[in-house]
Amino acid sequence: MNRCRTNGTQVLFCLLLGVVFGATSAIGEEVGERWGTEVREREYYPIVSLPMPADTVIEAGAFAVLPDGRTAVGTRHGEIYLISGVDDEKPVPEYQLFATGLDEIFGLTWKDGVFYVTQSCELTRVSDTDKDGRADRFDTVSDAWGYANYHEYAFGSEFDAEGNQFVTLGLSESYYSHALYRGFVMKVSPDGKTTAFASGLRSPGGVGLDEHGALFYIESQGPWNCSCSLKAISSGSFHGHPASFEWYPYAPELGPVPEQPKSGSRIVQEKQRVSQLVPYAVVFPYIRMGRSITGFSVNRTGGKFGPFENQLFLGDYTLSVLMRATTEQVNGVWQGACYPFREGLSTGVLNVEFTAGGHLLAGGTNRGWPVRGIKPFALERLQWSGRMPFEINRITIEPDGFRLTFTKPVDAVTAGALETYSLTSFTHPYHGAYGGPEVDRSAIAVKSVSLAEDGMSATIVVDRLVQGFVYEFDLGRLRSGDGEELLHRNAYYTVNEIPSALGSQSP
Amino acid sequence: MGHKRVQGISLFRLLGMVTIVGLMWLSGGLSAAASPDDLVLSGQHSLTLAQQGDLLIAELRCAACHGAGDERPDAEKVAPNLTLSVRGLSPEYLKKFLADPAAAHPGTTMPNLAGGKTEAERAEIAESLSHFLVSQSTAVNPEGSAESDATGAVSEGRQLYHTVGCVACHGAREPQVESSLTAKPEADREDDEEEDAPPAVVETSASSGRPIAFSLGHVAAKYSASGLSEFLFQPLRIRSSGRMPDMKLTRTESRAIADYLCGEQGQKPEHPEPDAALVARGRQYFRELNCAACHAVGGISAAAPVVSLWQADTGRGCLSGVSGRHPEFLLTEPQKDAIRSALKRGPAKDTDQDRIAKTLTAFSCIACHVRDNFGGVAQEYNDYFVTSEKNLGDDGRIPPPLTLVGAKLQPAWLKKVLFDGESVRPYMATRMPQYGVSNLGHLPEILARTDIPERPALSIPSPESRSESEREREKMLRTAGRELLGDKGLNCIACHNFNGKPAPVNRGIDIMTSSQRLQSGWFSSFVRNPGTFRPRIIMPNAWPGGIAVHQTILEGNTDLQIEAIWYYLSLGTSAADPSGIRRINTKLEVGDEARTYRGRSRVAGYRGIAVGLPEKISYAFNAETGTLSSIWTGEFISVDRNGQGSGGFNPSADPIMLAQDVSFVRLANSDAPWPLLPVMTKDAKVNPDPLYPKNQGYQFRGYSLESLMIPTFRYQTGAIEVEDRTVAGKASDRLCLTRTLRLTTQDPQELWFRALTGEITAESEQVYRVGRLRLRIPAVRTKLRPVQGNAGSSELLLHLEVPRGSSTMEMIYEPL
Repeated sequence: MNRCRTNGTQVLFCLLLGVVFGATSAIGEEVGERWGTEVREREYYPIVSLPMPADTVIEAGAFAVLPDGRTAVGTRHGEIYLISGVDDEKPVPEYQLFATGLDEIFGLTWKDGVFYVTQSCELTRVSDTDKDGRADRFDTVSDAWGYANYHEYAFGSEFDAEGNQFVTLGLSESYYSHALYRGFVMKVSPDGKTTAFASGLRSPGGVGLDEHGALFYIESQGPWNCSCSLKAISSGSFHGHPASFEWYPYAPELGPVPEQPKSGSRIVQEKQRVSQLVPYAVVFPYIRMGRSITGFSVNRTGGKFGPFENQLFLGDYTLSVLMRATTEQVNGVWQGACYPFREGLSTGVLNVEFTAGGHLLAGGTNRGWPVRGIKPFALERLQWSGRMPFEINRITIEPDGFRLTFTKPVDAVTAGALETYSLTSFTHPYHGAYGGPEVDRSAIAVKSVSLAEDGMSATIVVDRLVQGFVYEFDLGRLRSGDGEELLHRNAYYTVNEIPSALGSQSP
Repeated sequence: MGHKRVQGISLFRLLGMVTIVGLMWLSGGLSAAASPDDLVLSGQHSLTLAQQGDLLIAELRCAACHGAGDERPDAEKVAPNLTLSVRGLSPEYLKKFLADPAAAHPGTTMPNLAGGKTEAERAEIAESLSHFLVSQSTAVNPEGSAESDATGAVSEGRQLYHTVGCVACHGAREPQVESSLTAKPEADREDDEEEDAPPAVVETSASSGRPIAFSLGHVAAKYSASGLSEFLFQPLRIRSSGRMPDMKLTRTESRAIADYLCGEQGQKPEHPEPDAALVARGRQYFRELNCAACHAVGGISAAAPVVSLWQADTGRGCLSGVSGRHPEFLLTEPQKDAIRSALKRGPAKDTDQDRIAKTLTAFSCIACHVRDNFGGVAQEYNDYFVTSEKNLGDDGRIPPPLTLVGAKLQPAWLKKVLFDGESVRPYMATRMPQYGVSNLGHLPEILARTDIPERPALSIPSPESRSESEREREKMLRTAGRELLGDKGLNCIACHNFNGKPAPVNRGIDIMTSSQRLQSGWFSSFVRNPGTFRPRIIMPNAWPGGIAVHQTILEGNTDLQIEAIWYYLSLGTSAADPSGIRRINTKLEVGDEARTYRGRSRVAGYRGIAVGLPEKISYAFNAETGTLSSIWTGEFISVDRNGQGSGGFNPSADPIMLAQDVSFVRLANSDAPWPLLPVMTKDAKVNPDPLYPKNQGYQFRGYSLESLMIPTFRYQTGAIEVEDRTVAGKASDRLCLTRTLRLTTQDPQELWFRALTGEITAESEQVYRVGRLRLRIPAVRTKLRPVQGNAGSSELLLHLEVPRGSSTMEMIYEPL
């Protein structure tokens, strides 16, 4: 385990998955406060443990849902299991060992009868040519990147509309870029041609498409990243950590090397200077919203999973929690909000996936980094109980404030009172030190609120909107029409752009 | 014991061990005890006569007809869902049961609703009702059905029945058999020679009732094996009131127990197609007899309530003992007395303790658990509670006491145990059943209110707001806690698993789950003297009389040591290993087929692949350069499964190491140096030639697993496609590897293949030796040349003239 650099009062030890799990001293580490909502959450989203065969270790790293409804899980031990019965009312799944001997699977996609597996060493097409239920052919689709340190994990996306896949490459030892293209996003075309697509990654934890089909990856707290975040990838984009500049000479398709960012600045300032720099789309305030967020999946269950259709659900490794996120594009820049969803999972969540039956499958392990959950590894299923939780459904930005939608009609008295909307804003330094504080915090006054007639949304006008700030919502005073408190009172919106009054918001 | 009639209730005996008497209710939760003349309920309960009456009123669902205002008890029993259940029952049994429930199922809570009718009338009612019920029922649940496993199912069922906990409520059917769970798991566990653990006799001051033993005498006649299997797999679907809980059985296990219980009567005829006229009459009876008061079928609503329970005349109706229009329950006199006593008292004004005691009795929690002065495993059943960790004593096999459980467990964890099936005692054969939130949902809150820990919580300052001195103190305590847990301290890890790693001596509860499950105040009391909580616990007292056994850590301060351990435990699975924890290296073994494993290795680079062959010879292939890089015989590999950087492999035997540079090169001339893999050092970690293999024309293409799962590697070198397959063979009676390279090209090619490096000796034109390896090469032009700058070292190059189309070359690697 590597010792990380000292940063102010924090002596941090590091590592992974972007994770960064701060301070793992010789003794270990307190992983942080709880939301304290577990006992209430279980009324709406109970967790069902999926039993595993005795003596079988399944450290899930990636999932794929097959057309026949089975769920495939790729593991850190390099195995692929096909699981039947994950959606049964009382699940006693059957596990079929489909493939073995791969190296840390963090990407799994099924297309035209074969798997596309992202492992540390390569992107591989895995097939069963004789149809005996066991993989027998492993075709290298792309191994265009260097791999020379165990921490150089690779995460693979699903296919985009053009049939491309994207692979995010973590840095060497989580700090450096010693091997080819470490810190890059690689684009793998349907014919296997691999090109550099974006740079500046630190320790990615998952990559994929959001509800709009836009490409995002998960970044972990660490140097140049004071919190974990969801970042929008575009061709040639730079994501903040300059270690990967090393490889621009090997990637002419990326264009010139970006300007070196200045440590200690703010990202809004630096992006004026570093044209390729893309700000964090959704900041997950450290500890309050995870410490090492990982894979995500879009809820397209058609309501089977409850009220949060089309939203991103993502896991956290350290705190064993699940969260939601929503995205929108303003003035051509992606931004959005994140929301607490469920705590109390049994192990560090490395990935999530919606099953054919509309449940959310979460899996992972506690091996290697601090984790709160009590099991060394687990597969768990979250399901909607059918009861409607009272939650902030989605926050979007307005020219002079925000629009909030809710899952149930709000009580007009509390929802109409300005003091119900307790808002503060803060930002982070943009610097090369490990992690960092929330700075420039100030209270935001709400000047007016207007409620929709159906009570399902509120639009607030605030005294100021500032680019580069996270707006932290605390709606502890809000009540639903039937007098309920919010299940989770907080949400966090990252403002990169402010729409004009004439409306430049898209899509 | 013979077979005699007492008050219309049969006294009979279960097969084997236990004599059961009196009124027994399968579906309901209560069974009468020792003698029908003197006991109301069985089990070691603590209820007064009126409280027992309350339970009977709830179990018999008296308020379904009588109404009781708002004074409904916790978890009143709900009748089975007939829509789901009926098709799983024997048609004959169904009719017999409807005509006279207690005759078909002695002890049932189902009353006789046609007591005043003639036998012929009852038969006609039963026939009609059964047609009606079948017409309303759905097919057997496909999720629950499992095919019988034919041979072995009955014996597996017998074994399961007698170990997972069925015995606790239904009694034993056979003498105790040695369970696989009681067998010693490993031959090398040292101190295992002793005898059986002393029996855990129940020592409570509760009523000295007979053991709970709901009769299963009717089951074989009632169910088909598949119907019973479906019921056992998900009992709460049909009987939502949870008196028969979900025992966490798999489909196969459910079927095995069903096969065992049904014996030779497992096959039952199908229900006849419902007859429309009979269905109509059945519907009418269903309404007339007010079956809908308890059973929701066909949208029929219940009749208006009769006189309220609390105003009922206890000398008439159901309690009169006389047949009439009322439902007839075959109650014993003491049971009637109990009900009368409850009714006379009026609606119960239960304390929390009363509610807990009633709940634990109604759901037979007391069959396994002690709480305060009641409950516990009956002596007669004690031997059926078994464990795979015998040395843990009774705590390894008897479910834990529930005394102060509301102060012991964190609320979220208690719910996980009660409602999510979570468990931390994999060694205990008896399973914690699941009763459903609708039945026990009230319990966690009452327990939390009632059970107060003796000691204050050990609060740990929040990491976000602690002061510098608190941070320093925390660091000091955690260091000490880690030391105390380790083998140089109290060695807790000798008997507690640690973060999923098995303990070396006894595999007790994973100690690092403690802070997620337990409340610190309870923990603080418990560790000071475990024996006061559990008299037979094997956990030693580390602070006898309040004096620390370990005097050097934290200067032997008892309070500080306990606090230190809690600080350390609170790290959960993020805690660093204490001294004495072993690393986990997983040995991969090769069976009848080859095994291919990708991972980092010193013998094959980061893109390494190990291949183990069934003949016990293995090799490694560096897929980054397309090179066979190592060979060994014997066991295959061990894989590092520790920490972050898992997955690396090491040969299980001393390997022969070969070069890892690219194997095929188009040299400018025969004196040109062989291009070497770039070397990174600690001081120069950046790869100076990151495209090295690709610039040599090499590209890995993957592999196929063919016969016996032996891989054929595919790669490209320039315009040549290579298929590279290595199998085991014999050379001079020694194990060897035969490697066949199949080269395919559209145009003739010339290139060099480097076969060996090192101190090479030529034994013949085609045989070379280096160290412990002999290599036989094909008859081609070779060049054995010194390696520049490496005295004594040479390299053997083969000059290949590859013709158009496909050609092969073979090499034999013979480890010496």
